[in-house]
Amino acid sequence: MSDEVILKLNNISKSFPGVLALDNISFDLKKGEIHCICGENGAGKSTLIKIISGAYQPDPGGTIEFEGKPVTFFHPSVAMKLGIQTIYQEHTIFPHLDITENIFVGMELTKNGMMRKAKMREKTIDVLKYLQSDLSPDALVNELTSGEQKIVEIAKALVLERKVIIMDEPTSSFSVNEIDNLLGLIKKIKETGIGIIYISHHLDEVFKIADRITVLRDGKHVITCDAEEVDEQQLIRYMVGRDASVFYHREFYKPGEVVLKAENLTGNGVYDISFEVRQGEILGFAGMVGSGRSELMTLLFGGAEKADGKISVMGKEVDFKNPGSAIKNKMCYITEDRQATGLFLIHTIARNTIIANLVNTKRLVINPAKEFLVGDKFIKELGTKATDSKMMVMNLSGGNQQKVVLAKWFNTNGDIFIFDEPTRGIDVGAKQEIYKIMMNLLKEGKAIIMASSDMPEIVSMSDRVMVMKSGRVVGQLSREEINEENILELSIGGKKI
Amino acid sequence: MKQSPVELERRRSLFGRGENTTVIMLLVGFFAAIVAVQLIIGAIGGKVGYPSFIAPVNLVNILMQVSAVGMMAMGMTVVMIGGGIDLSVGMLTSLVVIYLAKGIMDWGIPMWAAIFSVIIIAVVLEVAMGLIISRFSVEPFIITLGGMIAFRGIALLMCHSQEVSTKGRFAVLKDNLIAGAKDPVTGLTLNLPIYLIVFFVITIIIWWLMKYTKYGRRVYAIGANRNAAYLAGINVKNTVLSTYALNGLIVGIAAIMLLSRVNTAIITTGQNLEIDVIAAVVVGGTALSGGKGNIWGTFIGAILLGSIANGMNILRLQSEWQFVAKGVILIVAVAAGAAVQARRERTLQLKQIK
Repeated sequence: MSDEVILKLNNISKSFPGVLALDNISFDLKKGEIHCICGENGAGKSTLIKIISGAYQPDPGGTIEFEGKPVTFFHPSVAMKLGIQTIYQEHTIFPHLDITENIFVGMELTKNGMMRKAKMREKTIDVLKYLQSDLSPDALVNELTSGEQKIVEIAKALVLERKVIIMDEPTSSFSVNEIDNLLGLIKKIKETGIGIIYISHHLDEVFKIADRITVLRDGKHVITCDAEEVDEQQLIRYMVGRDASVFYHREFYKPGEVVLKAENLTGNGVYDISFEVRQGEILGFAGMVGSGRSELMTLLFGGAEKADGKISVMGKEVDFKNPGSAIKNKMCYITEDRQATGLFLIHTIARNTIIANLVNTKRLVINPAKEFLVGDKFIKELGTKATDSKMMVMNLSGGNQQKVVLAKWFNTNGDIFIFDEPTRGIDVGAKQEIYKIMMNLLKEGKAIIMASSDMPEIVSMSDRVMVMKSGRVVGQLSREEINEENILELSIGGKKI
Repeated sequence: MKQSPVELERRRSLFGRGENTTVIMLLVGFFAAIVAVQLIIGAIGGKVGYPSFIAPVNLVNILMQVSAVGMMAMGMTVVMIGGGIDLSVGMLTSLVVIYLAKGIMDWGIPMWAAIFSVIIIAVVLEVAMGLIISRFSVEPFIITLGGMIAFRGIALLMCHSQEVSTKGRFAVLKDNLIAGAKDPVTGLTLNLPIYLIVFFVITIIIWWLMKYTKYGRRVYAIGANRNAAYLAGINVKNTVLSTYALNGLIVGIAAIMLLSRVNTAIITTGQNLEIDVIAAVVVGGTALSGGKGNIWGTFIGAILLGSIANGMNILRLQSEWQFVAKGVILIVAVAAGAAVQARRERTLQLKQIK
């Protein structure tokens, strides 16, 4: 890291009608530096990077300097010309093109109007070699894992000789190996003098790579410091403005009857799974991405075909042909991706709330007024932040959307809850609320099966933990044995952690 | 400041007030424009009278002209809310009207049996396409395009590419239910045929089905998010299939009504009908992506598009102009809808930042 500043923002504010998203922020990025931006959801991180990448115009008053020269008009094309590349959370690649084509798309090397394919391929090979990747330049991008796709985006930034790379939550949906690999790469490319702005919820990642850390809270700048100067607890305190404990402290109840029992369950990519869940307890399923947790949850709920084995609910053997029969057997499934598989975003809260219970009602005619009453009842019960149940779900924040998903299932009067990633993409405050709601379920004698990749969540919420790897259960931990080391040891296999 | 985005959103919420504002404004605007032109022309000519465009007899006329398209648009709305589309309705109409006319005139099938079998044929053909669409998860656009081409062939084979006249055998459906009633404005005879009543009845039934039944909720849910609908216990395949079956039923009925009105079955009877039907549905605010839309929007959309030809005629404009006007209105309606959507997105963004 040199002391040469590439990018400097002075007193930048950004207001939207009624909201001040950024309040007088100053920020700078040095050459060859990894500068992490931390903050809770809604702290202003995204707005800040959107300003740097030119997607938003800052309010008058602030200035932006690039390599010492003021930039007056900021626009995505200007940002690109200056050499700022943003790698967004969701991929912005062309799935049906190969790696070379993806890297050079829009910037093709030509000679007399003809593409210089060999030359482009050569350059791609060089960059991939530099990144120590064994990817072929001809591989189709849609056949790559999300981790590999990020490598392609980094390769692109290198080929185009970018000066600043912004990464917004690059590791979401990554496996542990992929994360380590990516972090290694990021450290490597900073040696070339590129300045990197890195945004992540995962503080362990931040501490592994950050040179400096800037914390934002409610659109305000809290602190910028060298990474060595702070530890995790301090950083969290800066982010939330109060002392936050990483682990949720829950009460434990005496487990009751066995409500769900799986014996040698096989199908949908999982093999030979046996377990039982009792009333009043949370059975956690841990494991890395791709270990088969979600597949098992879908299988339990009748969303996939069972190849072998037995499922019993309340002591009675069941054979779910589809999720409808699971719902009739008092099961509920809060899926890992609420927008893709849990919610009807363009519909009202009321309609989302009543939909799963339709399978239990005999009445064919619906009274829309009653529907809104049901919707409103759950808004009140769960503390959803919405004016009323006529609001479209699309316009709620992540935590409140999750509460709508919960309302949908609570309305079915279910007894067995499958939670897959119950708090993914939800801010700290809403997380606590979801946990409280889960504890209330236990108190009422419901049973919970919870799959999660959030380590503190698994550790602090589970009564027992089953650890999965490659579609199989590789270990069980009792309440006393549950800790991060044990889980990690089982889930990545062997004793080498 | 704090409540404004939420409050704004509440007012624009999909199933709250104002969901048909765009199409109603367009309809009112179009009527006002034609009336204004009529008044101006009248003033120039020195004889200001009641504009004939909005005379009761003409309004009923417009309804009669749109009834077949309007009926089919009801079925199409259900299909499209469920995330599908059906390009075959036009040629399916041609097929069944030719079968019906041939059956009665040339093949000696009794009237009641012919009518009954028309509805069966329409439902069976739609179910066949619906089965393929729902079982193999293929694009409904392509399957129904194939259906459209094949139906055209079958229809042409049946009539040997010739027209078949029914010689007024269906006149009963045209019977005036209010015989003797006169338009108070123009003094012309008012006509209220049975098929107009059928159109209204279908509209009300489908509206009720989509708004007040479990079935309607399920169709909306599937159109909005298929995966979530499946995991909420909905039988996605059969529900999708049922939307096509329902559409077949309505196309069958509409085809019979259409034949009673035009008296001649020919391949062009249903030609390009699917364009008018889909246009009416889309102008009425139904999303091509599914999950969104409502029956009254479609009803108004059908009337709006149907009154264009009529209005042009009254103004003695070349009939070719109606296509230009229809196209422009379609584009304006969808663009205006998108603009409202964009405003909604902006409020959404605000809230995310908060």
